[in-house]
Amino acid sequence: MNIIIHELRTYFKSLLIWSIIIIFLIVVGISKFSAFANNPEMLAILDAYPPALLEALNLRAFNLTTVTGFFGIMHIYFALLVGVAAVLWGADIIAKEERDKTADFILTLPITRQRLLTAKVVAAVIHCAALVLIIWAASLIAVAPYHPDAAFYRFLALQMQSLFLLMLIFLAIGIVLACTMRRYKRVTAVAVALLLSSFFMATLADIDERLDVLKYVSPFKYFDAGVLYREGQIGGIYWALTLLIIAVSMTTAYLAYSRRDIYA
Amino acid sequence: MSKIISSTIFAYEFRARLRSVITWALSVALLILVYTALYPSFAAEAELMRQLMANFPPELLAAFGMTGVDLTTVMGYFSFVFLFVQMALAVQAAHYGFDLVSVEERERTADFLLSKPITRTQVLTAKLMAALAGLGLTQAVIWAASFGFVNLFRGDRPYDPGLMALILAGLVVFQLFFLTVGMAISLLVRRVRSVTFYALALVLGMYFLGAFSDITGDVKLENLTPFKHFDANDAVHHGGYDLSLVLISVAVVVIATLGSYRLYLRRDIPTTA
Repeated sequence: MNIIIHELRTYFKSLLIWSIIIIFLIVVGISKFSAFANNPEMLAILDAYPPALLEALNLRAFNLTTVTGFFGIMHIYFALLVGVAAVLWGADIIAKEERDKTADFILTLPITRQRLLTAKVVAAVIHCAALVLIIWAASLIAVAPYHPDAAFYRFLALQMQSLFLLMLIFLAIGIVLACTMRRYKRVTAVAVALLLSSFFMATLADIDERLDVLKYVSPFKYFDAGVLYREGQIGGIYWALTLLIIAVSMTTAYLAYSRRDIYA
Repeated sequence: MSKIISSTIFAYEFRARLRSVITWALSVALLILVYTALYPSFAAEAELMRQLMANFPPELLAAFGMTGVDLTTVMGYFSFVFLFVQMALAVQAAHYGFDLVSVEERERTADFLLSKPITRTQVLTAKLMAALAGLGLTQAVIWAASFGFVNLFRGDRPYDPGLMALILAGLVVFQLFFLTVGMAISLLVRRVRSVTFYALALVLGMYFLGAFSDITGDVKLENLTPFKHFDANDAVHHGGYDLSLVLISVAVVVIATLGSYRLYLRRDIPTTA
């Protein structure tokens, strides 16, 4: 419990900074959206927009004049930001003990390594949930003047749910890297490199149909805003992949950490 | 007479960063390869879109930053790929900037380094030069990859090598911006725990500032971000970067560099316990 509280406090500032960046993104985005809101001329124009081009520009076939369409387009930016936050938290929460030379101290505490790891994981998951809730709340406040319909709230809930799952995937990846990699200094770099390459894979899958298979490789494509919007749910295969990645990562992390040779 | 650059520190710093430089350069070159390799099939499909887009009102194209830019042309497509290259290189430069001085305090080697018979100015200059050499090496690889892969995949579609060189040349100031601003911030704060966190926050913040200013163009905040100063889309449209915006970046680089020297000379270095 003490460890959880300590970790929550340690990453509070970081949580604050990420929240500010994302709230800033929402505010700037919404101010731009006001130009499109309920403008039928824009609607007619956007209907004629070729879908392939929208795909290439990461602007999926959303109706930009509605709040739902607008949030659909913002989704990839949210996903990138929370993904980075999660992978960094996951990597850092483990690796920092060796970096800050506090690993030998924390491991002398009368708890097992498994319990230590669990406490850290719990703290990180709480942070992820907090960040998603903050985005959710900020979104609700930001769209209030536009009186969105019930469908929007359903889509937003689905969107937030997928952001949380995406965060859990990258959190697990960050943690397993920190537990298994021998050189703690390289952990965050490798974690971010993994995240960015899966982000690029997602954009590549959009550009060229032949690379469609990448949608099973890149977690960003598991929660594709266009698909979420059309189907109203996260596909079964993507749920399975999400759970699989998390389960494999966490099992490996526990096994590796309990026998890790700590650099002190 | 004392030397301005300590060659020992320069050599040490350069070597310490060499692996990272090579990894960055090769990954970004790979990124360029993958995207340009998709160009031929993309361009073929996109011919149709070009005809459609000719009918769109200019306001809408401006909203998506596509005024006068056509993804089917080599340069239009290159400017689209170039944004990803910029993002990656911004992270690299910011990472080196935040790490440059703060690493000594994190690794508890600052007092060792500063006990050497050289001034702090010499230390900082040598470190800065080593980082610049690393970034220069990266950019050389990017130049080679850009020209090489574009020529490999453009088929018989024309492109403007002069303009492409100009766009790539912008990377010098672009990376300097993130390097020096990162360095200045790292000296303003008491302690940099996670370099990656700071670097990504700076780059993503700047990127979003640019990405969302396209739509109406009334918010002037975008003039703060180098992603706007070195907007390849714009450069393709106007035949070059907007010099007044480039000068903003240059001014920031100068201020951040001078500020860093001042801060570093007076910095209170925590000693090893």
